[in-house]
Amino acid sequence: MRSSPWPDRIMPLALAIGALLTTTAFLLAFLVAPLVAGATVGSTEVIGGIAVSNKLLLSQKIFFFHVPVAIVSFAALAFTAFYSIRYLMTKEPQFDTRARIATEIALVFIIATMASGDLWTRFDWGVWWVWEPRLTTYFILMLLVIAYFILRTAIDAPERKATFAAVFGIITFVDAPICFMITRLVPSSIHPVVFSTESGMSPLVLVPFLLALFGMLLVGFSLYRVRLRQVTLTDRIEQVKQQLEETWQNRNLMEG
Amino acid sequence: MNPVLAEIYSTVLPAAPFLIGAYVLIWLAVLIFILVINNKVRHAEQQLMLLEETLSRQVRSSEDLE
Repeated sequence: MRSSPWPDRIMPLALAIGALLTTTAFLLAFLVAPLVAGATVGSTEVIGGIAVSNKLLLSQKIFFFHVPVAIVSFAALAFTAFYSIRYLMTKEPQFDTRARIATEIALVFIIATMASGDLWTRFDWGVWWVWEPRLTTYFILMLLVIAYFILRTAIDAPERKATFAAVFGIITFVDAPICFMITRLVPSSIHPVVFSTESGMSPLVLVPFLLALFGMLLVGFSLYRVRLRQVTLTDRIEQVKQQLEETWQNRNLMEG
Repeated sequence: MNPVLAEIYSTVLPAAPFLIGAYVLIWLAVLIFILVINNKVRHAEQQLMLLEETLSRQVRSSEDLE
């Protein structure tokens, strides 16, 4: 009996902590974090001892999970690039497999980011899509990730496929820091700079956000390990099938 | 309701379906991935058990032939 590697052993714990952190973040986001102020209204009203003269935005609560999910997609792509480089250095198929799985995880979180972001865009800006710098670079990132899988299915030779995919995976990752930094490079009134000492996030907002971020990172890690375990199992099955075929062939030769 | 309060809270209710939709879609993407992978893991484990059993039977019968 093979003992499983340590990341597989800690995976259930990581998933449980991830679920706990995200649940706590969800509860804090809705029960503790105050509603963010939007456009000003004509006069002031006192609510809970605080003078309020702005519209209160419930839609901003999407932020607590939309941003962490996007960050997990960047982190997954960093692993794609890391394993792609390792594959190019060593030519070991396991690194190609790991890069592919990391890209799959990135795609899942990109879809989640796009879907949640689109609903936020629709409500706050009144449109389903706008060619704003952050949205455009993230859309390009999604297209690159989809292209990565198209490239993989288009090439049959395993080593050639892995090499091309590794190079493309590294290129795909290059867009992640661009997308992350674009709000600083091309300032937009629509997408604010979140990670800054001047972002003005109060602890009541920052704590649930960080809990959601670490929770989602753990969920992403767990998904990666589960998928890797499944792929490893499938590979073992293929090996056993090959062994079986060889045994049958030998047996037929002996009987013949 | 006080008209100022009504204006302050005017976007809260209309935003609710979008907010719920966003959260549902995030977790739906993750859950679908988990379900698909879990299904594949169980299928693979079943296949592996069957194959290993068949292989050991085959190896034994080959040794008997020898």
